[in-house]
Amino acid sequence: MSAALRASGVELSFGATPALRGADLTIATGEIVAVMGPSGSGKSTLLHCLAGILVPDAGQILVDGQRIDTLSETRRSELRRDRFGFVFQFGQLVPELTAAENVALPLLLGGVRRKPALQQAREWFDRLGLEGLHGRRSGELSGGQAQRVALARALVGGPQVLFADEPTGALDSITGEQVMELLVSLARDRGTTVVLVTHEARVAAYADREVIVRDGRVTSFDTQEAAA
Amino acid sequence: MIRLGLRMAVAGGRAAVARLAIIGAAVAIGVGLVLAALAGTTAVQRQNAHYGWLNSAHAEAATGPSAADPAWWAFREDYFRGRSIARIDVAVTGPHAPVPPGLSALPGPGEYAVSPALAELLRTTPPDQLSERFPGRRTAVLGRDALASPDLLIAVVGRTPADVAGLRDATQLTRFVSVSPEHCLRCYVGTGINGMALILAVVVAALLFPLLIFIGVATRLSAARREQRLAAMRLVGATPRQVATLATIESMIAATAGTLLGFGLFLLLRPVLAHVPFTGLRFFLDDLELTWPAALLMLFGVPIGAALSARLALRRVRMSPLGVMRRVTPKPPRAWRLLPLIAGLAELTWFVGRKPYTTNGQTAAYLSGILVVMIGVVVAGPWVTMTGSRLLARLARRPAGVIAGRRLADDPRAGFRSISGLALALFVGSVATGVITSYVAERGDSAATPIIHNLMTVTSWSGHGQQPLDQASVPPSLTAVPGVRAVVLIRDNPQIDKNDPNSWPGLISCADLTRIPGSGHCSPGAAAAQVFPNLVPPYGGSVRGGSDPQWPPAPEVPLDRQAVIGVAVDTDGSPAALETSRTLLENAFPQVDGAASEGDIRDDSTRLLRQMQRLADIVIIASLVIAGCSLAVSITGGLNERKRPFAVLRLAGLRLSDLRGVVLLESAVPLLAVSAVAVAAGFVSAALFLKSQLGYELRPPGAGYYAVTGTGLLVSLALIASTMPLLRRLTGPASVRND
Amino acid sequence: MSVPLTLLGLLERQPSHGYDLKRDYDTYFGRGKSLPFGQVYSTLARLTRDGKVVMDELAPGDGPDRKRYVITEAGATEVDAWLAEPVQAEPHLQTVLFAKVVLSLMLDRGAKSYLDAQRHAHLQRMRELTEIKRSGELVDGLLADHGLFHLEADLRWIDLTAARLEQLRAQVRR
Repeated sequence: MSAALRASGVELSFGATPALRGADLTIATGEIVAVMGPSGSGKSTLLHCLAGILVPDAGQILVDGQRIDTLSETRRSELRRDRFGFVFQFGQLVPELTAAENVALPLLLGGVRRKPALQQAREWFDRLGLEGLHGRRSGELSGGQAQRVALARALVGGPQVLFADEPTGALDSITGEQVMELLVSLARDRGTTVVLVTHEARVAAYADREVIVRDGRVTSFDTQEAAA
Repeated sequence: MIRLGLRMAVAGGRAAVARLAIIGAAVAIGVGLVLAALAGTTAVQRQNAHYGWLNSAHAEAATGPSAADPAWWAFREDYFRGRSIARIDVAVTGPHAPVPPGLSALPGPGEYAVSPALAELLRTTPPDQLSERFPGRRTAVLGRDALASPDLLIAVVGRTPADVAGLRDATQLTRFVSVSPEHCLRCYVGTGINGMALILAVVVAALLFPLLIFIGVATRLSAARREQRLAAMRLVGATPRQVATLATIESMIAATAGTLLGFGLFLLLRPVLAHVPFTGLRFFLDDLELTWPAALLMLFGVPIGAALSARLALRRVRMSPLGVMRRVTPKPPRAWRLLPLIAGLAELTWFVGRKPYTTNGQTAAYLSGILVVMIGVVVAGPWVTMTGSRLLARLARRPAGVIAGRRLADDPRAGFRSISGLALALFVGSVATGVITSYVAERGDSAATPIIHNLMTVTSWSGHGQQPLDQASVPPSLTAVPGVRAVVLIRDNPQIDKNDPNSWPGLISCADLTRIPGSGHCSPGAAAAQVFPNLVPPYGGSVRGGSDPQWPPAPEVPLDRQAVIGVAVDTDGSPAALETSRTLLENAFPQVDGAASEGDIRDDSTRLLRQMQRLADIVIIASLVIAGCSLAVSITGGLNERKRPFAVLRLAGLRLSDLRGVVLLESAVPLLAVSAVAVAAGFVSAALFLKSQLGYELRPPGAGYYAVTGTGLLVSLALIASTMPLLRRLTGPASVRND
Repeated sequence: MSVPLTLLGLLERQPSHGYDLKRDYDTYFGRGKSLPFGQVYSTLARLTRDGKVVMDELAPGDGPDRKRYVITEAGATEVDAWLAEPVQAEPHLQTVLFAKVVLSLMLDRGAKSYLDAQRHAHLQRMRELTEIKRSGELVDGLLADHGLFHLEADLRWIDLTAARLEQLRAQVRR
């Protein structure tokens, strides 16, 4: 089994407050995994560690068998830019930029020239049912539109792993399902691995399997059963 | 990347544009100010260099080619309607006389050359008031090379060698001094460069500090939103370096625009600046120029400085992709923050009784001391704020007081930041007012009497090593001049006791004394009095009595037989009477110093002093205005950033009136506490400086100071109060929303 | 809701009289619909017949009801198996789920792992329904949604219960 992501014995504290106390998790390539758990359990922190945003105090994070917790801040930034995509609950779009510029942002940061980057970004607008919205600012988009723009931005660089933290948290159930539907079908088409943090069972039901984070540790279920 | 940064900086909606505009404007004013100061320094130096040749009597400083035939040269100061005239009597001894700057040759006997400003005066003034002082006819006008200022009045009067040789301080010279007076030990015509540089430095510092604080306050506007944006960029993979570049571009935009604007402002205001008689005389416009290094330094230095400070600021906040995550209570300021303030005051105290000998030494000693105190006020501010807020929290009975006290004590630096500009303005204002008020009280015309202005005198007494005046030379036409009320003679006191502070070189009959109103009176029963030759008691003398001094009785000597050492002409004070009698007196007694009123002589120093006072007023008001702006900006900005906690407080049942109290107290407590410290530090510094440098005591400031300070504080409080309507809107229940 | 297995579970705590069993059942699981005495005794009779329960010696002395029931090895095994097995994920499972949780706590078994297993089973079912919704007709999708919402309600209850297990344990063990 090829592991796209692997966390082993990950520990992380915020000051005196432990958030993760030895979390282990393996995610196969192309797998969609829901990370569930009560609030404060450390599920978002686990995602931040897996994505190289936070560096664990102990333990290892491996992406394609390569350790990333020992990489420099800059290298991890480049990793996020080139191989990861992110969809968060809100506040992830840069309000000063247009929707198209937001989508093109990872490409621009990666050194793609402005024209082709925007061209590539525009293609996503049709694909996600956002026709004619590329000139809008994030404040002029509805919640569902903003999440779809965020989704386009997350996928524009063709990432290996998509990290989604409560992607429907700020949306009503119908809009939320539309976003999830898009997210899952796009990820499946491309074989993108998805780490989906959610506390909602109906969102988690879009995943191949779920893991529970409780008190900073991960409870997994039999993967064979999960595959069934 | 750069284009992205530009887009982001200007595309942030009205708030971001307003922020950029505020910063840009502040930078523009600051840059314009510094450019004006730099150009001003250049102008003072160039102006000074043009004074050089007037010091040619001091031949040891003379350079340049030597002429074959020496010229006689006698310099003296003359006056016209309160303005100084530099009068040089020259006499050539042969065809190869030295040639001064601005002229093709020295004027021969019966000829004279004048500066353009004097030429204009000659044209518009009746001859008996001015042109009759110069024998012969005008043959030339001095060129630009000879002039330090377009307003400078110079007369080069050609005479025979015999005439000039008899004049006081007459010398022979073969070449002219071409160096600036600052490089020439005994050269006295010119400006004290160090003093001017010091004043410029203080003025610029006093205005630049509040401006820097203002820029700092404006930079913090919408900081939360900027942090969120940068965090969003980090999330999608912007490296720390890229984020730093973005932030740098952002701050460089405002700085660059502001710098360019500042240059424009300077160029626009240059003609106006040239007219400011900073050294007492206007500048030539082409003297008020930026040197290339200075211009380039500002043009590139300011944006680069802004970029560097943006980098430094980012380094302090490690920009995580998740934003600045947890607010930690900053460590409370410690009492060590008082140390710089104490150190500065200690430095000034140390110099009391240890005044450095050189001007440079004094500059270094006092300026650095006052600057350290100034920095000390800023450093001590948060501690003072915290102490004040703790006191408030302990004493408060109402919820507003308790909440405001706790919030302030939690982050006193933020509370102090908004009012720091005001504290500095008050400090500078207090120092300047303290020094100037006391200086004016000691030296100014507090004992002003009519004779200071009205009495035209010519004196020549043995105390100056000069020959007495010839009584027969007193022109009889003097009494016929319209406006002349009396002409009296002052005679030599043969029994002057140099060890007696109450013994004076002149004698006058009591009958004459009473003819001149304001000249004082005799001791009871005396027939004659000992007087100072121009009838005005000198500074610090033992003659008291203000506008009506009582002179000591004269020794028993026959008054008529004593030599004449002074002629005093009492006029009605009209310019025509004064200048006509001056012209008559000078022509009658050409060997001695020009005729002058005490006012003419005093004007030199008091005019400068009054200008300094006006300058100080401008500085104080300008820095108060700047400080007020930063206060307003920081309060509105602060309210915007804190609207959530305030809205939550309101939802939790705090009444709007109590909330108003919280906001008011949060600004007013640091304002009043720090102002008190700043004002106190200012006056103590002024007192120490006065005591050390001049040996004066500090005098209480006048009503103007209280008016300006009080108005400043009231306007500040009004500014705070003016944000109150905003409070209701900002802290509505909608603000509790999490977005 | 399985009355025989619930009674068996209650018996595993301690040997009890028929009356005590009815009272405990009513307290924890009855919720306004008390178990008739007739059903208690007929069930106990059936369990005795199947060898899952035996009658204890009569205690001498007081009261009309002298028969005390004791669980057998076979009975205990059946309770074990039942408690460990997640219920088919369907709507309206509350009573069975609840009985299992309470009994697990009473018997000091891992209620937590039971709830995890149940959550897993529920999510499994929800995944199937989601798949139906994604690929099927609208009507199927709507029906699937109905099921999803109910399962989600169950899951929420499971999460809530999981968070309050300690409190519940203290209460049922009194």
